[in-house]
Amino acid sequence: MMYEPYVDMKNAGRTYLQGKTTVEALESATCQVVPGDRIAVVGPSGSGKSTLLHLMGGLDTPTKGSIIWPALGRKEDLRPGNVGFVFQTVSLISSLTALENVELPLLLSLEKPAKARTAALGALNNIGLGHIADKLPEELSGGQAQRVAVARALSSRPKLILADEPTGQLDHPTAQHLFDVLLDSFGSLDTALIVATHDPVIAGRMNTVWHIEHGRLEIR
Amino acid sequence: MNFMIRWIKGIVIYRPGRLLGAIGGVALTITLLASLGTFLFSSSATMTERAISDVPVDWQVLLSSSADEGMVKEAIAGTTPYTALEKVGYADAAGFTAATGGTVQTTGPGKVLGISSEYRVHFPREIRQLTGASQGILVAQQTAANLHVKEGDTVTIKRTGLPPVQVTVGGVVDLPYADSVFQSIGMPAGMAPKAPPDNVLFIPEGQWHQIFDSQARIRPDTVREQFHVRIAHNLPADPSSAYTFVHQLANNLEARISGSGIVGNNLAARLDAVRADALYARVLFLFLGLPGAILAVLLTLSIGASGKKHLLQEQALLRTRGASVATVLKFESMEALIVGIGGIIVGGALTYVTGKFLAPFSILLNTATLWWIAGAAGAGLLLAILSVMYTAWKQARYFTVTASRSLVRSPEKPFWQKIYLDYIILGTAFFVYWRIASTGYQVVLAPEGVPQASVHYVAFIAPFCLWLGGVLFAIRFWENGLAHGQRILSGFLGPIAKNLSNVVASSLGRQSILLTRGIILVALAVSFAVSTAIFNTTYNAQSRIDAELTNGADVTVKGTTTAPPGSKLAEIKGLPGVAAVQPMIHRFAYVGNDLQDIYGIDPKHIGEATNMSNAYFEGGNAGVTLSLLAKHPDGVLVAEETRRDFQLHQGDQLNLRLQFASDHKYHLVQFKFIGVVREFPTAPKDSFLVANAAYIAQQTGIKDEEIILIRTTGNPAGFVPRVQEVVSSLPGAKVTDIGSVQKTISSSLTSVNLHGLTRLELIFAVLLVMGATGLILALGLNERRRNFAILDALGAKSSQLGAFIWSEGLLILIGGGVIGTLLGFGVAQMLVKVLKGVFDPPPEHLIIPWNYLTVLAVAAVASTVIAVFGMKRISHRPVVEELRKL
Repeated sequence: MMYEPYVDMKNAGRTYLQGKTTVEALESATCQVVPGDRIAVVGPSGSGKSTLLHLMGGLDTPTKGSIIWPALGRKEDLRPGNVGFVFQTVSLISSLTALENVELPLLLSLEKPAKARTAALGALNNIGLGHIADKLPEELSGGQAQRVAVARALSSRPKLILADEPTGQLDHPTAQHLFDVLLDSFGSLDTALIVATHDPVIAGRMNTVWHIEHGRLEIR
Repeated sequence: MNFMIRWIKGIVIYRPGRLLGAIGGVALTITLLASLGTFLFSSSATMTERAISDVPVDWQVLLSSSADEGMVKEAIAGTTPYTALEKVGYADAAGFTAATGGTVQTTGPGKVLGISSEYRVHFPREIRQLTGASQGILVAQQTAANLHVKEGDTVTIKRTGLPPVQVTVGGVVDLPYADSVFQSIGMPAGMAPKAPPDNVLFIPEGQWHQIFDSQARIRPDTVREQFHVRIAHNLPADPSSAYTFVHQLANNLEARISGSGIVGNNLAARLDAVRADALYARVLFLFLGLPGAILAVLLTLSIGASGKKHLLQEQALLRTRGASVATVLKFESMEALIVGIGGIIVGGALTYVTGKFLAPFSILLNTATLWWIAGAAGAGLLLAILSVMYTAWKQARYFTVTASRSLVRSPEKPFWQKIYLDYIILGTAFFVYWRIASTGYQVVLAPEGVPQASVHYVAFIAPFCLWLGGVLFAIRFWENGLAHGQRILSGFLGPIAKNLSNVVASSLGRQSILLTRGIILVALAVSFAVSTAIFNTTYNAQSRIDAELTNGADVTVKGTTTAPPGSKLAEIKGLPGVAAVQPMIHRFAYVGNDLQDIYGIDPKHIGEATNMSNAYFEGGNAGVTLSLLAKHPDGVLVAEETRRDFQLHQGDQLNLRLQFASDHKYHLVQFKFIGVVREFPTAPKDSFLVANAAYIAQQTGIKDEEIILIRTTGNPAGFVPRVQEVVSSLPGAKVTDIGSVQKTISSSLTSVNLHGLTRLELIFAVLLVMGATGLILALGLNERRRNFAILDALGAKSSQLGAFIWSEGLLILIGGGVIGTLLGFGVAQMLVKVLKGVFDPPPEHLIIPWNYLTVLAVAAVASTVIAVFGMKRISHRPVVEELRKL
């Protein structure tokens, strides 16, 4: 069965200016992500994992090459809704409760407030965090906050989930637990999950592993 | 060292907003403090200068009959250098008689003064020439009117105990300072001053001795001599100090000439009157200027407090690399130094520009003002250190970034909220205000003749408490309102935030403390601007009314009964630039034995040419009082003192004596008492009468009016030459305009020129409001850039991101604006009430400067819009870069 790819990247590269020096974060990457993909992007720190995910999620624009989302639409249509993002650091809005953070992508998708609240509460309950719904991010532990971020990424039932080292700042048991939550929650076979990590255990639980080093992507 | 330079470079490159904001705040504080001080010192000096330039004779030394004139002269020279000294003879005459126009006029007792030919050169302001020669026998205007004489006529002087003598009139003069010329020297302080004589003649010194030396021998009590002295004006700049200095000089002289004479200290009396005004001015300058400076300090501290998170990250990096708290603070002190030096440079430049272009008088650069400027610069430096270092020191005590930006509120209410301090302070404000409003409270007390003058600062408790209590109440209201009223807030935000309104309201509610700070800062800035603008506008309008009251109208022509300007009425009416003209009779009438000014008006039309303030009349309604006068042709309005002395009741008959055309003698005319008049254009401060002009003209047979009041369509000063041309043929006619009077009157504080301070404050108030709305909002939003970047990463559209930013901006703008406006109105109202002694007459209502308030509102909205759009623009930067940075 042929699927229209979610992400189709051709020779995409990204360079940054650091002072007067040009840094090539990603060199001519060519890859595709199709529904149901579970890909681990592994590589050392600074190898370009985050850059690759940012380009795939439409958070950044390549300086060379191209990237399109045939099954998801234009770049502007990716978020909120089609793409869910989990960042490496805690990325909850500090002045909103866990529940409000989770319902935010739904509200941004113009969902009615009551419906958004129900769905968000469901998402929190699914990951066993219903009891901390009214807590502010500063009142949560690092693991709880990251699980709320996962719930937020999943709340709008995205087709593509991009997780940029979601367990990078957590201890091993907490990281494993969070990853369990991530894998258990999105359930749908159509959803693609791409996780940037340098944890071999987590990478081992994915179907595909892409290696990246010095900005060069290697798909085995 | 190299690292230090790199650190400074980093501050300049990466914190330009915070740095420039803090420099601006410090500069504003320095400028306000420095300008305030220099304005205060310079205005005090101007008041002294203006006051003493107005005194025709500084000292009148009354010589005892046995005095050694040479010794007294030497004593004067030994006490103080002087620039003029003249001997003047004062002789009592039993009366004067003149036979003119077929009738014989006789006056009551009078005075004959003997002056040298140099007297008018040395004391030119004492005697104003009206007609005829400037030397020889000079008759005072009132005497000339009573005797109906002009130059060339003969006047008989009835001497006491000796045969009368005849003299020929050389000219007619006016005595603008008759009160001081004929003062009772040596009278104990507090006694009512004696009215100057109605009949006065000036005679050359030699002739005076010929006539009165013999009278002095038989009645020495009727002939005295005085030295009139102008001392060198090397006085302290401050009126109070100058008063004390001059007072002590006179005491010194009296001690030197003990028994030979006593000093009539006109200079001290003038300074005595002005020192109260100077104290009022000091109070005004402080009350109007200090809140601005305090606000600038608060603004600077708020700017300093922004960027806490970055500060903490920097500190954490330094600490992990082994830097001690002291080292961290040393690095942070570099920012304080940049802010301090920058603030002093910009503040110094602004102070110079302010002094150069905004001051209404030349700024004196003396030791006092230089110290003040240096003090302001020092305060600015201290503020810079405080604003940067306090935040750095406070941050150094925190352990985590999270702790520093904690949103979790302490369940404990602040102590002041628990004890309802805001309600107590507001209650105090209203109680003090009620006490002040219901009693004749005087803020400045400078008892006549007493060197010590005092300001009852307690009176300022009312506006200060309203301001403080209002601010504390606003803090309670917004903190609690935002924290607990999210449903209501969500309803208000619906149109902007749509389906996000609940989330936005929740977000704002949890930042209630931070937002309340912003709201309060805006409220303080707006209240400062509003109260200052309203007070200043009311003050300026009242100053104009005061000047109009003194001058009579925009342009006023004053003449004599013998050459009345009323004869030129038609010509003046025809001049271009005339909006309205009203003639007014000005004669004299005897109320019992008291000679008072009487004004004859057309009550139906007088208001066309000059302002008829309600405050002029008892009952506070000019319209009703003037209608009553119009209904009663024989009606008369009298002073409160006259009503009391004669126990008058509404409708009582009052017999006045007025001079008739037929025989130039005073005859009884019946009037009906219909009300009390407190003030009237051109009228003196003491007792006077106002009646219908037609009735006075009909009863006395003299129709032409002595005063013409003119309302002009353009600049009154420019109109004066045209009128002068018309009345040039009338001897003694004087044309004055409101502007020149406004500049010269100094008996009232409204003559204190606040324009410079006003302009400075109004400009700075706009800057402060813009700073409080735009800059503080921008810095606050910048603190939450991470939140906005996350929203962007989640896919928020521009309008959705805008919902968060706009809601915060509008909440601060509207919340602060409304509270600030209410507070501003309240404080202005209280300030005007507290300072009612400043106004003569007191204002009937506040005058709202709508144009300025519109500019203020536009500035506040514009800076909010700029801050919001700026933040929206920043939030649309590549989200990855933003998240990486934050």
